[in-house]
Amino acid sequence: MKHSRTALLLLATFAAALALAACGGGDDTTDTGGAATTAPTDESGATAADTTAEKPSVLTIVVRDGEPVGGIQELEFDSGEQIRFKVRSDAAEEIHVHGYDVVEEVAAGGTVEFDFPAEIEGIFEAELEELGVQIAELRVNP
Amino acid sequence: MSWLPLAHALAARQDLPVPAWLFAWGASIVLIVSFFALAAGWRKPRFEQANWRPLGAGLSRALLSTPAQALFGLVGVFLLGVAVYAGLRGTEAPDRNFALTFLFVTTWLGFPFFSALLGDIFRPFNPWRAVGRAAGAAFTAIAGQRPAHLAYPERLGRWPAAIGLLAVVWLEVVYGASGGVAVGLDPHVAAVATLAYSAYTLAMMALFGVEKWCERGEVFSVYFGMFGRLGCFGVSQGRLALRRPLSAATHWATVPGSAAVVIASIATTSFDGAQEGAFKNAMESVFDWIADAGIGLTTALRLTDTIFMLLCFAGVALVYMAGVRGMRTVPGAPSVAKLRTGFAHTLIPIALAYLVAHYFSLFVFQEQAQFTYLLSDPLGTAHTDLFGTASGGIDFKVLSANAIWYVQVGALVAGHVLALTLAHDRALVYWPDYRRATASQYWMLAVMVAFTCFGLYLLSVANG
Repeated sequence: MKHSRTALLLLATFAAALALAACGGGDDTTDTGGAATTAPTDESGATAADTTAEKPSVLTIVVRDGEPVGGIQELEFDSGEQIRFKVRSDAAEEIHVHGYDVVEEVAAGGTVEFDFPAEIEGIFEAELEELGVQIAELRVNP
Repeated sequence: MSWLPLAHALAARQDLPVPAWLFAWGASIVLIVSFFALAAGWRKPRFEQANWRPLGAGLSRALLSTPAQALFGLVGVFLLGVAVYAGLRGTEAPDRNFALTFLFVTTWLGFPFFSALLGDIFRPFNPWRAVGRAAGAAFTAIAGQRPAHLAYPERLGRWPAAIGLLAVVWLEVVYGASGGVAVGLDPHVAAVATLAYSAYTLAMMALFGVEKWCERGEVFSVYFGMFGRLGCFGVSQGRLALRRPLSAATHWATVPGSAAVVIASIATTSFDGAQEGAFKNAMESVFDWIADAGIGLTTALRLTDTIFMLLCFAGVALVYMAGVRGMRTVPGAPSVAKLRTGFAHTLIPIALAYLVAHYFSLFVFQEQAQFTYLLSDPLGTAHTDLFGTASGGIDFKVLSANAIWYVQVGALVAGHVLALTLAHDRALVYWPDYRRATASQYWMLAVMVAFTCFGLYLLSVANG
């Protein structure tokens, strides 16, 4: 009697945790499945940059009135790749990629290109330095 | 949806979420470990006795002598003074000012990490204790008698420290941060808060006595001291001594309100870990709802964060109390109140594991800043170079994403094992009958599995 109850309890804990692991895992798989391919990044790039005729492989973030068009852009790279993207701004700004501490200036109406090796793994912000507004989130996966 | 612009935060880099396969492995190992913990338990309590082994008498005398204690106290007061001065006079940029990294990373994270290994190392450096003791000694010398104190209302126990702990973290991650950055507090605000806290602490020490207030209400003494109970060095009969690891923790929670302190620790770390991941959508909904009611954006954001932090506290407390209620159903169980205090210390390793999992990378990176440019240029003026390290910086390449993931998951699994060890040991004290002790531990096992798996889950959806 006592033994069957403890066995049941154990089984329930086991099942609950397994379910948790399974659903957590499931969520994550779909997440990475969707984001690991470069397609979504390019798509969002295309919507943000449909006025410019850029090559589809390099995303252009368009900044208008001190904000990124289409919201904060998510860019994903693998460690060892080149981090490449462009920023076009209607006003003169300084763009700062945190962590890597890469800073580039862009003139009013101009475009600036970032191109540096993805050496540090993690999540980084790119922001308009003067305004303190985030324009992109860079993910560098191992 | 209108988030406020992000403030310049300390953290220039955030951790990647733990990948699904590692999450699954972590959770599986936790379950297997738990299963064996039930089967292979010892039958007599082993951690109730400290088994002190004194260290060399010369070393003891040197470290515990009055001049040495005065020196440690002075170091504490000096560093606190530097932090306050830098906060008041230095740059507004949190990442370039000595104050924030020193207060919220080096001290707030460093003492828990190292205390857990060594013991209560904050006590000798506690600046307020040093000032309080010096003031007491001066009073005794002048008045010819020891200062008289009010009797501390014992039923308050450690509640003042628990509430203070929530307030400190609130200042750091709710008031200071706008939009989930890890410490975006204005250094000036941090300095003023430190001065206000100092005045409050010294007043309380004058009222109730220095040592009494350090044991009950002084947030940093109580919080760092809690982790120090896991460490293996202590003072016994006036001598430095080695004790059995974990043994000091078993007597920590006898003071009322101790459970609230450890629950507050787990809850605040959970909140900070979840706000950019697990709770993100829910928090955005509540924020929109509050902001739509016509409240200013900053207030709405802080209100949202406060609500979720308090919800975390309630949630963690609820899970723990469910375990306590469950144990009460086992024949021969002591009262709910006794169980609640009796098992509170078993959560200390979980609290430590949460801290390591969420802040380990921030600590490793930010300490590089602490010992390079923040040390040589504490005010962040870019004109000072006291030790020639002002041009140094953080090398983010010292930790790969994989290294961080293994430390995070490893910490949670290790914390889980230590927590189960302490809970099993305490159950043997309350239930001398081994089978009943084991039966009671199904409940604590469920509590620990819940906390550990929740911790793993938070990591797997972090910054999502």
